[in-house]
Amino acid sequence: MKRISIIEVKELTKVFDNNIRAVDGISFTVKKGEILGFLGPNGAGKTTTLNMLATLLRPTSGTASINGYDILKEPDGVRRSIGYVFQDPTLDLELTGRENLDFHGRIYGLERDVRQQRIREMLDTVNLADRADDFVNTYSGGMKRRLEIARGLLHYPKVLFLDEPTLGLDPQTRRAIWEQIQRLNQEESVTIILTTHYTEEADYLCDRIQIIDFGKIVALDTPNKLKARLEGDIVSLTFKTPQHARQIQQMLENKEWIRRIDKVANGNHYVSIHPNIQKIQRSRRDERADGMASNMSYVQASGAEKFSKDMLGADNKNVQHESKRLNLLVDNGGSRVPEIVKLIHGTEIILESVEIHKPTLDDVFLTVTGRNIRQEQGSFMDTVRRHRIIRHARGQRGKR
Amino acid sequence: MNMVQPLSRQAIYVVLLRELKRYWRARARIIGAVAQSFFFLTLFGLGFSGFIGGFGNVKYLSYLAPGVIGMGLLSGAMFSGVSVVFDRQFGFMKEMLIAPVSRTSVILGKILGGSITSSIPGIILMTIAGLMGAFKPTLILMIGALAAVGVMFLITAGFVGLGVAIGSVLNDFHAFQLLTTFVMWPLFMLSGAFFPIDVAPFPLQVASFCNPLFYGVELLRWCLLGTGTALLGSFGWLIALGALAAFTSLMIAIGSYLFSKAQI
Ligand SMILES: Nc1ncnc2c1ncn2[C@@H]1O[C@H](COP(=O)(O)OP(=O)(O)OP(=O)(O)O)[C@@H](O)[C@H]1O
Ligand SMILES: [Mg+2]
Repeated sequence: MKRISIIEVKELTKVFDNNIRAVDGISFTVKKGEILGFLGPNGAGKTTTLNMLATLLRPTSGTASINGYDILKEPDGVRRSIGYVFQDPTLDLELTGRENLDFHGRIYGLERDVRQQRIREMLDTVNLADRADDFVNTYSGGMKRRLEIARGLLHYPKVLFLDEPTLGLDPQTRRAIWEQIQRLNQEESVTIILTTHYTEEADYLCDRIQIIDFGKIVALDTPNKLKARLEGDIVSLTFKTPQHARQIQQMLENKEWIRRIDKVANGNHYVSIHPNIQKIQRSRRDERADGMASNMSYVQASGAEKFSKDMLGADNKNVQHESKRLNLLVDNGGSRVPEIVKLIHGTEIILESVEIHKPTLDDVFLTVTGRNIRQEQGSFMDTVRRHRIIRHARGQRGKR
Repeated sequence: MNMVQPLSRQAIYVVLLRELKRYWRARARIIGAVAQSFFFLTLFGLGFSGFIGGFGNVKYLSYLAPGVIGMGLLSGAMFSGVSVVFDRQFGFMKEMLIAPVSRTSVILGKILGGSITSSIPGIILMTIAGLMGAFKPTLILMIGALAAVGVMFLITAGFVGLGVAIGSVLNDFHAFQLLTTFVMWPLFMLSGAFFPIDVAPFPLQVASFCNPLFYGVELLRWCLLGTGTALLGSFGWLIALGALAAFTSLMIAIGSYLFSKAQI
């Protein structure tokens, strides 16, 4: 069973009218029953990919098939096969939870008895049975999200798309939703693609993770294999100034016990609504479109430093645009710290803090994209939209 | 992509039912819609009648009532239609767009629902105007009032269709302010709601003849007062009915087509 692929994506590309290359020739397959995660920062092209797979957007080129139906030639077969929990909330707030599900069931042609039975079943699964007849605008963010998941699965889809299922929710609610997703995956044997920019979420839920950046797949593997790419310990050094970090980097570069050095762009310095950001993103995309640097090595080589300089431009001199932090990948991190301290001793370099941890997916993300995933860098509208969703999710927190 | 799909009764029904439920649950809004027209009617109708008196043997209040009803229908229907934009980007419609049903069914449900909900204030206002003595209370008026309700559905269906068409093409929310200024006001001002176009300059008359709302208001006047503009003659109601029906069919067709082409 597990071996048969249910989603096949070939060279899928979307270029929007404004010349943004949101999805850039991606290909992958998903096996039946699998949970595949799209992990990527804002604007990576996750939602655009899902929208194309769901027949909401027409690809610029390339195609895909879902459950044997081609998204271009047999959109109806695709639509019958999928459920989609959108990134933006789409519940009807002025209707009750049950009414929302009932309307959905009718549209998908479920007969009355089946429909009512199934609605009860799904409400139970997501623990909303006791609130089913209240208006949705009295639900908490977590309840709304759970209702949307129930709705996405109501019509027995073979494939479920979950676009940022836990964005803006608190940790307990998030965990509860994770468990429900996992259960549904097993009980309903539904194949799931979920997008997220929480690495813990991808790590916890997904059989395989696909890291997407600037519309391209930069890594695709199981969470364990991805983490195994970085074996050893991460020693994270923060210096007083970026100059110090640069100096020490030069001193460390020829040490054979260091497997890799990454400069960490510190997200805090980048005001996410900076007007240049969208422009830079676009020009980077265009560069790629021209084929100048369209391979993975560019992503890796470009690194945090170049990106941060690009983003901040000349009009932002007072903002620090170089990283003060270095991440070293080494064996036996603890035993290397004295050596580093000795190296610094006698120079004017000031080391502010040292931190040692086992590599996480965050670190993997950093090494394949050259950036921290936490760093917001979407367009202004993306930011506004994100805040809207988060506000929406937090809206009725007290009533959870 | 999917033009050949059959209509789905369930989809039409669901969209319609949703519109009605939402409308009913926010029924306080009806008061607002009716109140606005009511102020127009009393202020202008009673205020102007002092020195205008009336046109021919129709007193000004009676003349004005169908026009004010028409104005309410126009704005209610247009906004209902244009709201597909919000539905499409922020909610419900997005759900419908990935459902295995034809978009034509979805939009027919929307037009039907929008037409019913935006006719309701019109019906209420007609009753109020009747109580204010705008229409002669005869037996024929009963039939006329029923016919007027039918006309209201026809008018609103057309303008919901127009709203859907506009909403399917425009994605920019700021553009909607322009809608009021450049579409709704001209339509209203040239509808003969305030004064008979018989006495207006020729270019204005031509403009009115191109205005679907003009025919709608004309038709309401025929239903409720039994008379219309002399320009169209004594079978003016038939011409108006033909023109309005043509407009409405065209708008439903264009609205459905553009909506079915729209991406998110
Ligand atoms: N309709 C559109 N028109 C033009 N550009 C668009 C449109 N939709 C998305 N984009 C752009 O395409 C890029 C990818 O957007 P997308 O929404 O797919 O990203 P994402 O990975 O889902 O990001 P997020 O984590 O913020 O949801 C962004 O740069 C975005 O600005
Ligand atoms: Mg997204």
